[in-house]
Amino acid sequence: MPIGPLGVVFASLLSVLGVFVPLILTAGSGKRVRKLAVAAILAASIAGCLVAVSGLLWQPAPLLDLSWATPFPFSLAVDRLSAFFLLLVCAVAVPVTMFAVPYFDLHYSERRRHWTWAFFSLFLLSMIVVVTASTGFAFLAGWELMTLVSAGLILIEGDAPERRHSVFIYLLMMHAGAAAVATCFFLFLPYSHSLDFQALRAAGTAMPGGIRTAVFVAAFVGFGAKAGIIPLHLWLPRAHPIAPSPVSALMSGIMLKTAVYGFVRIAFDFLQGGPLWFGYVVLLAGAVSGLLGVLYAIGEHDLKRLLAYSSVENIGIIYLGLGTSLIFLSHDAPVLAALALVAALLHTFNHALFKSLLFLGAGAIASATHTVDLEELGGLQRRMPVTGTAFLIGCCSLIGLPLFNGFIGEWLTFRSFLAGSMLANTKAQIVLPLMVGVLALIGGLAAACFVKVFGVAFLGRPRSTLAESAVEVPLPMRGGMTLLAAACLLIGIFPGLLLRPLVSLAQVLIPGSGVPEETLSITRVIPWTAAIVLGTSAVVALLRRRERIARTWACGLPGLSSRMQYTSTAFSKPIRFVFARVYRPDRKVERLPADQPYFPASVSYSSVRTTSYERSLYRPFVDFIVSLAHRLRRLQTGNIQVYLLYIFLALVSLLAFLRFQR
Amino acid sequence: MKTAIDVLQALILILGAPLVGGIVARMKARLQRRRGASIWRLYAEIFKLLRKEDLVPPESSVVFRMAPVLLFGATAAAAAFIPVVQPSALLGARGDFFLLVYLLAFGRFFLSLGALDGGSAFGGMGASREALISSLAEAPFLLGLVAVAILASCPDIAGIVAWTLRQSIFNISAAHILAFTSLGMVALAETGRMPVDNPTTHLELTMVHEGMVLEYSGPSLALIEWASAIKLHVMLALLIALFCPWGMARGAGSGWGMAVALLLYCGKATVLLILLSVLESAVAKLRMYLVPDFLGVASAVSALAVIFTMWVKR
Repeated sequence: MPIGPLGVVFASLLSVLGVFVPLILTAGSGKRVRKLAVAAILAASIAGCLVAVSGLLWQPAPLLDLSWATPFPFSLAVDRLSAFFLLLVCAVAVPVTMFAVPYFDLHYSERRRHWTWAFFSLFLLSMIVVVTASTGFAFLAGWELMTLVSAGLILIEGDAPERRHSVFIYLLMMHAGAAAVATCFFLFLPYSHSLDFQALRAAGTAMPGGIRTAVFVAAFVGFGAKAGIIPLHLWLPRAHPIAPSPVSALMSGIMLKTAVYGFVRIAFDFLQGGPLWFGYVVLLAGAVSGLLGVLYAIGEHDLKRLLAYSSVENIGIIYLGLGTSLIFLSHDAPVLAALALVAALLHTFNHALFKSLLFLGAGAIASATHTVDLEELGGLQRRMPVTGTAFLIGCCSLIGLPLFNGFIGEWLTFRSFLAGSMLANTKAQIVLPLMVGVLALIGGLAAACFVKVFGVAFLGRPRSTLAESAVEVPLPMRGGMTLLAAACLLIGIFPGLLLRPLVSLAQVLIPGSGVPEETLSITRVIPWTAAIVLGTSAVVALLRRRERIARTWACGLPGLSSRMQYTSTAFSKPIRFVFARVYRPDRKVERLPADQPYFPASVSYSSVRTTSYERSLYRPFVDFIVSLAHRLRRLQTGNIQVYLLYIFLALVSLLAFLRFQR
Repeated sequence: MKTAIDVLQALILILGAPLVGGIVARMKARLQRRRGASIWRLYAEIFKLLRKEDLVPPESSVVFRMAPVLLFGATAAAAAFIPVVQPSALLGARGDFFLLVYLLAFGRFFLSLGALDGGSAFGGMGASREALISSLAEAPFLLGLVAVAILASCPDIAGIVAWTLRQSIFNISAAHILAFTSLGMVALAETGRMPVDNPTTHLELTMVHEGMVLEYSGPSLALIEWASAIKLHVMLALLIALFCPWGMARGAGSGWGMAVALLLYCGKATVLLILLSVLESAVAKLRMYLVPDFLGVASAVSALAVIFTMWVKR
């Protein structure tokens, strides 16, 4: 089969990432080899962007059939949906790779660097395979590789017991999710007879309702575990903070998005929507993840864990859009469904950009100060101006302020909620407009959260000597962050760049949908708004002509110290107080000695926020599994005769089964 | 012609804003049996501050310097969304009220950052409290607007105004009253008026907005004061436009019609300002942790407004 020039480019980028780079890194040593490997990764990512753009704008499908080499049919193809996610993977990979070069040099020894880059390359490969797979087997292979390689990357920084425990939870939940994803594909088999995506698509709408429901539920759970929707998010705030920052950027920026891809592929492409309750389930999951995610984020003062929770929140926003789209689909409103789907996909892309930017920023902070604890930071904007500005742009995008890219996705989601009032069904007509309030609350709380993050980390006085002696990070790190920040601003002011291809993608996924008017109006009004905001700001900035450095009045004390500033914990206290029911912290106050409560020698206070699920949802489940294992252990007597008996009984029962099946 | 008037509307909101603040202060003084300052005082103060130099804390960064500028830019842009004398606006577009709300959030975000950049305890205190209030105010703000938009079946402010103009003044529905109530409560919280925040206090136990601007001086302070005056005026004009637009010039009105519309606008604004000053003199400031209850009531009312649109619409 002729594969065309794009197919050749695609095949070579896969082999570079999957074979060439790991091979030279594990075989050779030295700086030159590593440089070559990095250059190869960058070139492959840029080539991936080209393939994706051509797949998104025109309609070629470089199909790469590797079935001759694998026991199962294994082929890759780039249709529009794949092209969009391929663009997301490759576009984020370029700046992250740039950033990672000095980062890995600063943090790891020579030998470890090689392994890190090899895994890094394989990680990118696995994500590309997942989003371009066109058979179920290829998808599952990529999916599994993605989990294992990312776990390897987390362990690169060491294997202390807590770290191992976190990785254990990560692997456990990922494999539970992968089991659900595999189930979801295999459920198609009796109707599609093959795992090829074409066959699955044909079978999707022809299957009986019960099977469709089962497929949907399996996809929702399986991909939900990867995306980190609450309550399946347990691994996310554990795995992300301990990974190296560029890897966290890839995990949060791209890996979570592959779950969104999988869900869209199954629910929209294969199943073409479904009954109304599908939509409500997804909507509810989105609302819960969004609200709880942002509330947990506010409570954190470890920057990377905070960002991980904020990813949960943003996945929630994406799911809000997907759920709305499913609701519209089941109401036969294809144009509105396309609008909500475009909103969700755009937010997916935006989140990939700004969240990887923020994780890279966290990496830059870690490189400069050796801590990501907000309570130790402060005053970094003066010391690291480029990092600070890029981080600020990331924060603004995340909150969804106008002129930044996050706003566009949220605006479209708001518009699709509002459009829900036009449906002829009374339930959706009330529920969808009310979701405006939920999304607004999420947005407001996210704003509070990131005022805290940027204000405490970058502004004011340094809170520790580490922060005081911070210096700006090397050029490639700054370059990576600047690229991402520029992309955030570009999409924020000229959203049409991305909206037009997305609308045509939505038209492919949702037959019968036109161009939603909402996507056009935002493209028109945003540049003007930007012009007025920036123009007015530029004019009034001229009013400030003279300035004098003057010490702040310290209420009569000799001077202000950094301890007088608000800390991260103090800043979030009002919100934590108001939402105390969500946090339910375990507080312990110990006074020593115990018999003298009024004249203690020492008082110690500890407050642990175990999220309520761990106690009420996961703990009984884990306890049940453990007790089951204890009970099953009775089968293991260690006596060889008993084992032979088991084998004999199994054989007899199998033979009996075969006999009576006929 | 239409665009020229749209520009004029935005300029009225921006340039007239200090007057609005001055009128409230004057009326409050009269209610408290003081003589009070002139209603033009805020202009004089802004003019005075603009000629001074900026005092900048030694530890602050570029964010401290840019915050007032961006706050002003965003708030001025927000003024370009509000119809005053005719049912259209400079930046009016479908779904523009989401943009309006988020532009106000834009300004607030940068002001909070500026407050934290000052490096003193008061800035953090103000920013932390503002974060609580504004994060809870956004939901009822948008829900209230959504309720009105659903009633008018129109997703932009100018379209809602045009729809309301076509209705009879006696045709007010329950959803309208609920939406007005919630938006009025949100307006109090957004602009930092009593009972949510006391604009005249400088007591560290109570100040929110004043805590945030404590480190600012000179032109920066002038911009902040002006921007918060614009915000008050924008909220006022929004309430008038959405709930009592009657008297606005319809279509391409004559100059005469515009003059009448402007006069009526001033009258309506004065009535609302009297209400505001009576309220501010009559109620005490809420305890910090009662503000969420206040905004919770606003949210519930606005949610009810959205639900009631179901029955009112047909």
